[in-house]
Amino acid sequence: MATRFGDWLNERSGWRAAYTMVFLRKIPKINWAYTLGSATLFAMIIQIVTGILLTLYYVPDPQLAYASVGYITNELPFGWLIRGLHHWGASAMVLLVVLHMVRVIIYGAYKYPREFTWITGVALLLLTFSFGFTGYLLPWDQRAYWATVVGTQIGEVTPVVGDTLRAVMLGGEEISGLTLSRFYGAHVWVLPSVLLLLVGIHIYLVIRNGITSVPKRGE
Amino acid sequence: MKSEEREEYLKEYDEKKKKGVPFWPDIIFKDVLVSFLLFLILVALAYFLGSSLEEIADPSDANYTPRPEWYFLFLFQLLKFFPGDLEVVGVIVLPVIAIIFLILLPWTDRSKRRHPSGRPVVTGITVAGLVAAIFLTVQAIEEAPLPASATAEGDRVAALYVENCAGCHGPTVIVAPGTDLFAVISAGTHEGMPSWNSDLSADEIDALVGFLLAPNGNEVFAAACAECHTLDQLIEADAIDLRSALELGTGFAPHADAAIPDWKGLLSAAEQAQLLNFLTAPDGQRLWTQLCAACHGRSVAVSGDEAALRDLIVKGGGHLDMPAFGGTLVDTDIQALAIYVMDQTAYPAGEGLFAQHCSSCHAQRVPTAGSLDEAVAAIARGGAHEDMPVWGEILTDEQIGALVAYVFQAADLPDLAGGEDLFAQNCAACHGELGEGGPNPARAGDIIAPISTAEYLRTRDDQTLRAIVSQGQPNFGMSPFGDSFGGPLNDEQIDTIVAFLRAWEADPPVELPPDVPAVPQSTSSGREVYQQLCAQCHGDRGQGGIGTAFGEQAWQSANSDSAIFDAINLGHEATAMIAWGEILTSQQIEQLVAYIRTLNSSGSATGAPTFVGDVLPIFQASCAACHGSLGGWTGTNYEDALNTGEGGPTILPGDPDNSRLVQTLVGTHPDGIVMPPSGALSDTDVQTIVDWIAAGAPER
Repeated sequence: MATRFGDWLNERSGWRAAYTMVFLRKIPKINWAYTLGSATLFAMIIQIVTGILLTLYYVPDPQLAYASVGYITNELPFGWLIRGLHHWGASAMVLLVVLHMVRVIIYGAYKYPREFTWITGVALLLLTFSFGFTGYLLPWDQRAYWATVVGTQIGEVTPVVGDTLRAVMLGGEEISGLTLSRFYGAHVWVLPSVLLLLVGIHIYLVIRNGITSVPKRGE
Repeated sequence: MKSEEREEYLKEYDEKKKKGVPFWPDIIFKDVLVSFLLFLILVALAYFLGSSLEEIADPSDANYTPRPEWYFLFLFQLLKFFPGDLEVVGVIVLPVIAIIFLILLPWTDRSKRRHPSGRPVVTGITVAGLVAAIFLTVQAIEEAPLPASATAEGDRVAALYVENCAGCHGPTVIVAPGTDLFAVISAGTHEGMPSWNSDLSADEIDALVGFLLAPNGNEVFAAACAECHTLDQLIEADAIDLRSALELGTGFAPHADAAIPDWKGLLSAAEQAQLLNFLTAPDGQRLWTQLCAACHGRSVAVSGDEAALRDLIVKGGGHLDMPAFGGTLVDTDIQALAIYVMDQTAYPAGEGLFAQHCSSCHAQRVPTAGSLDEAVAAIARGGAHEDMPVWGEILTDEQIGALVAYVFQAADLPDLAGGEDLFAQNCAACHGELGEGGPNPARAGDIIAPISTAEYLRTRDDQTLRAIVSQGQPNFGMSPFGDSFGGPLNDEQIDTIVAFLRAWEADPPVELPPDVPAVPQSTSSGREVYQQLCAQCHGDRGQGGIGTAFGEQAWQSANSDSAIFDAINLGHEATAMIAWGEILTSQQIEQLVAYIRTLNSSGSATGAPTFVGDVLPIFQASCAACHGSLGGWTGTNYEDALNTGEGGPTILPGDPDNSRLVQTLVGTHPDGIVMPPSGALSDTDVQTIVDWIAAGAPER
């Protein structure tokens, strides 16, 4: 029965070829450092799932944001777990992305034929930091507010466009409800869209080109 | 990589793949295991450490010490190494270089080598970058609660630093040369730093500036001075006294009996400079107020270039006032003085000569010269020195630099200090000290609206303000102030006031109209009416001000009751004195006349002025900057005020007209000496001094 359904579906989707290509492909012998990429992917999935759950309760409004985060943390059943995972998952993401990148550099894995994979990886690193920066403001507590004040003012030093950049980010001269909306929009809609696109390309390239072997001395 | 290298790589990679393992299940097992471990760790962190939530965001709390998330700490720390204009290097240049390095990596490292040992440059840069980031992060975390010296007991300034600055800046701040630290601290602006104006007093900011520029100054202070002095004592001390104490050791009069070492030998030049910077912060505006304003006034003006100004300050007036002793003393005396000046131990007998001829200006600080010949020449020729101290010997380089910078900066700006003075003298009586307005003395029941609100200032351009001040608003009871309309102020002074008003616009001191006290009732006594309507111009005991001083005997005898009645009833055109007859009843005016008759500004109502209560504050504010540390007449204590002076007592109790003090103040001195050089004292102050002397110059 299952086989017949599988055949039926395969005729219409070619899933067996995809399955073979993804799961049954042969991989050179590698070590534990090669799990950093999949761990990063897993951390990202945690962030997406917990992030979606958080949006169910979070209100991106200066009057209500703090209270809604308080509600999630202290009253919502397992809210502490959802927010805790999202909070610590963010740190884990940054740490894993950096370690993953270091591994790639040390093994020379950015070389032919994986240059494009590398470029998408650099973009994903910057994206991860952007997630961290925009997400930091959302709880709307003292630490969130003042870190953003300092962060955006530091950016203002940028020659020529600094002032404009800050005004666009904040939606004015000062941090306001508009700033919160913008950071929320970026954190929840803009950045994730770009992230999923880039991650998709990144993983496709990894499967297509295969993973590098551990270089031997002299190689 | 060449194309054959590329083909070779693909071939080798295919070989390795064949010898490898399938993704499912071998590889994916490891991945799932690691991911599961990661999940456990995250759950544990969420459970045991949770996710904190601080107080709700409070944009008005500038004292909060912001800390970025840990993965941004290394960037935050990096900025500390790029102060001032270099900021952009830490914020933009270095991060952009790092990102470009990453993006271009596959094209900069084109060899076919893949093992890290075969690519030492890339491996080296990566490791160095990682180590640097970790180092910066650790440093940022460790610096958070600092600095250690702050816990030293009684170190007030370090405590200030810890409380307000260390949170972001760590234990030290690297300050770019030429930074106007006072401005940076008070205005904030740089790198997200808040304005400290409202949280710290000017003195505290000063202390911080000194601390930042001389981070070891507090240690020198603790080691050398703290045993006898509190920090406050020395921070308030005169710059000349501080330098004298350092250089003269026990030769400095207040230290004469103190068991102290020779500071000059004990402290290196750098330590001395640190100590002085620490105690008198190199803040141009404050230095100007403390050291220069007594003679040069509060308004800063400058001509010539920066080098010339610096030279002038460093050399002082260069002895303009010093008489040419060549004609007065015999050659041998000059020679003896010169020897004494060059080396006080070589010719102790010179001390007497010095005390006789030089101490009145030089006090105890024996000047010196490059050589004996130069000393002889300087004494014989006399020279420069318009009473201006040789600041180069007194201030540190940083202090002089700050002073020069301030003078140039302040000379370009509108003269706000001068405008404030003019406003206080001419406008504040009706408009209030902060332009808040109040009851209109010229029109019963009318309220003068605030003139310092943002709305008022935004809706009137400078031309309009100028016209209002100059022509007055007779309909509303405001008399013209411009001299072309019979008022007391010239165009320049009006411009200064307008600039002062305009400066309010950015930060209006008044948001709402003030409460209005009731208009005088017809039953009010003469005294009540006087205090409410007349005192603001004529003084609360008739001592004068903007208006006539009718506490004076001369005025009282020169005016009949009916003349006073008429003056009140009809007012004086072209002055702020309006026709009060329109507001007050005849009966009230009669009461006023009767009350005015009882006024005697020097008399019984409040008792005669005393040295301690009334005169000393004037001396300290207007005279002590030069008189005292420079010799001559000294007014800082009662004994000296009465007994010192060049060529006889300066004050003759009971005889103001013949007292040299009064003569120099009012300009009747036979030699034409006028004091203070910066401009006359206010009439009230002069009157206080005259009254005090007339009353026999009582101490208290």
